[in-house]
Amino acid sequence: MKNFTRILLAGLALCLLPHAGMAAEAGSALKADDIKAEPFRDAKTVGGLKAGDKVGIEKREGGWFKISSPKKGWVRMLSIRKGSAPAGVKASSVTALASGRAGTGTVVSSSGVRGLNEEELKKADFDGAELKKAESYAASKKDAEGFAGKARLKARKVDYLPE
Amino acid sequence: MYRYILPLMLAVSLAAAPSAHAGFGDGLIKGIGSAAGGGQKPAAPAPAGTAPAAPVPDALSAVKALTGTQETGAEELAVGRQIAGNLLGAAPLVRDDKLQRYVNLVGRWVADQGERPELQWHFGVLDTDDVNAFAVPGGYIFVTKGLYRLLDSEAQLAGVLAHEVGHVVRKHHYKVIQQSRVLDMGSRFLGQKVGQDNELAQKLIGSGAEIVARGLDKDAEYEADRMGVVLSARAGYDQYALPEVLQKMGHYAADNDSVKLLFKTHPHPDDRISHLDASMADRLDGVKGATLSDHFYRLRK
Repeated sequence: MKNFTRILLAGLALCLLPHAGMAAEAGSALKADDIKAEPFRDAKTVGGLKAGDKVGIEKREGGWFKISSPKKGWVRMLSIRKGSAPAGVKASSVTALASGRAGTGTVVSSSGVRGLNEEELKKADFDGAELKKAESYAASKKDAEGFAGKARLKARKVDYLPE
Repeated sequence: MYRYILPLMLAVSLAAAPSAHAGFGDGLIKGIGSAAGGGQKPAAPAPAGTAPAAPVPDALSAVKALTGTQETGAEELAVGRQIAGNLLGAAPLVRDDKLQRYVNLVGRWVADQGERPELQWHFGVLDTDDVNAFAVPGGYIFVTKGLYRLLDSEAQLAGVLAHEVGHVVRKHHYKVIQQSRVLDMGSRFLGQKVGQDNELAQKLIGSGAEIVARGLDKDAEYEADRMGVVLSARAGYDQYALPEVLQKMGHYAADNDSVKLLFKTHPHPDDRISHLDASMADRLDGVKGATLSDHFYRLRK
């Protein structure tokens, strides 16, 4: 039965994935903003969005979303909320599936792993062995620099943001 | 007796004053009230006219003067280890050595872009389906497997870890604990020295890992978001990866069990995105970073 559920879920995920890739992802405007012809501020304004307007998101490039509707163009990523439902109404089934859960919060996969709620945190007992294990994985400054170097990550000077 | 109570009242009202100094001026006060536990309320504000017009003394100094404790990193670390051990008692690490080493490398690289490279930072992935991440004083940072599964690039992981690093750099939780000590001592008339025996240390942090379930003031979360974006950018990662994760979180219904605690202890993702938007404006438009989705360590099934 468990296996059957898993196969069903895997099948469902396979059906959903190609669509998620091709079709625009739903979103809506968090605030009024311009739709630009190119992904930068000085680009020509080709339209506008009002707060709450629905958009179809095709891809992200830096801080910009390429949108296909209501008009083709580019919008600042931070002006948009993703998902089709208004805040706090409905969970995205795709996200829920990806995390192994149904929209109701029911655990679909039977990994036997519990959640981590407030009550469990309050009554938790100190686990010294697990803490030692966690500490054993520490990376030194030098380790981290080597790791970043291999990935060609370079440290840069960037000022903190104002409030 | 009054000799002790008056300075204490003064310290508490100073700490609660809106004009309190830098570290405390971040609006953490709201969180501090609840941190006292047991329904205890902070002392009433000083009557009008008694508030000092001169620069307010650093609230932390007032705490130090009263408790006689030294603000050494050792105490923060001891409190942090206790909380981290309790948290691990609630959810163990995912049994995947490569994963745990990987998050330590990414996390350390990001943490070293901040102001506390002297800490021995620790990062870990907890074996729970809940979607959440935790910062513990002293540099212990954990993300849940539920959150890790939502990620699809190293830059996103870096962004999440950088937000938590921000909490530790600014000592958000530790300040709440320190403040609760003053209130706690008020209730016991400064009878005992704190920080010397485990029972009292445990009392300070509440039961178990309660402190991480309590949540901070919203402004502390917004500050950690801003720092998360900047630390990611400093580390060479795409600074929009953290907002991208926030957009993923916004998908969840608030009553979904796996995000219940996250939503209870943080402002809604939409509000966090809006705050980042206002703060970032065009400031980082010229900064391009790496996403590294190919480099990202994927969880074993």
